[in-house]
Amino acid sequence: MKTRYLFDPKWKKWGWIILIPAILLGLFTVITDWEPALLDIEMYGPFITDYSGEGSESGYLDNNLMNEICGILLILGGLLVAFSKQQEEDEFIQKLRLESLVWATYGNYIILILGFVFVYDFGFFWVMLFNMFTVLLLFILKFHWDLWKLKQSLSYAE
Amino acid sequence: MQNNLKMERARLKMTQADLAAKVGVSRQTINAIEQGKYGPSTILALRLSLVFDKSVNELFALDEDDLN
Repeated sequence: MKTRYLFDPKWKKWGWIILIPAILLGLFTVITDWEPALLDIEMYGPFITDYSGEGSESGYLDNNLMNEICGILLILGGLLVAFSKQQEEDEFIQKLRLESLVWATYGNYIILILGFVFVYDFGFFWVMLFNMFTVLLLFILKFHWDLWKLKQSLSYAE
Repeated sequence: MQNNLKMERARLKMTQADLAAKVGVSRQTINAIEQGKYGPSTILALRLSLVFDKSVNELFALDEDDLN
């Protein structure tokens, strides 16, 4: 089936190869605050603000690249897993894909609304941090769960 | 939507996999259509009608839910 915005099926394997280590590395980094000195680097930032939100100017700043690496790998791996075609991508699979995407979007914003209402101060920062990835992860979980259920429910009416 | 794909398939002694290959979809899709879980697109319905040499109206019919 012709699709405009999906990757070739071969990319899915690479998506998993990137996504799983990225999730593990990301969680490890968040839990242990691990930032290896090797990744300390001076970077250019076009918009630099301090914690008070004051001062917005461009310039160079010291940064550890670990967060950026984890975030980019997670997004890249997640996109490849989520949006690589199934081997038998057809209109029914596309329907499951669309429904899973709608479900994941609702789930994502329900989590964010709950965060708005129940989580404050620095805790909300963590909600925002994880919420950057929840739509992709929820979609991957829901879509693959639906595909698995579909295969399980196949009656061999040959 | 009701359909008699299963009956027509049996008439031609075709498996779900055979029919899926002929119309260019997965076996899961044929299975879902036969079980009434999925209504095919116009293009797929027309392809099915070509395989069985029947009109779309002979293969598919609206049920009560589709009329309301």
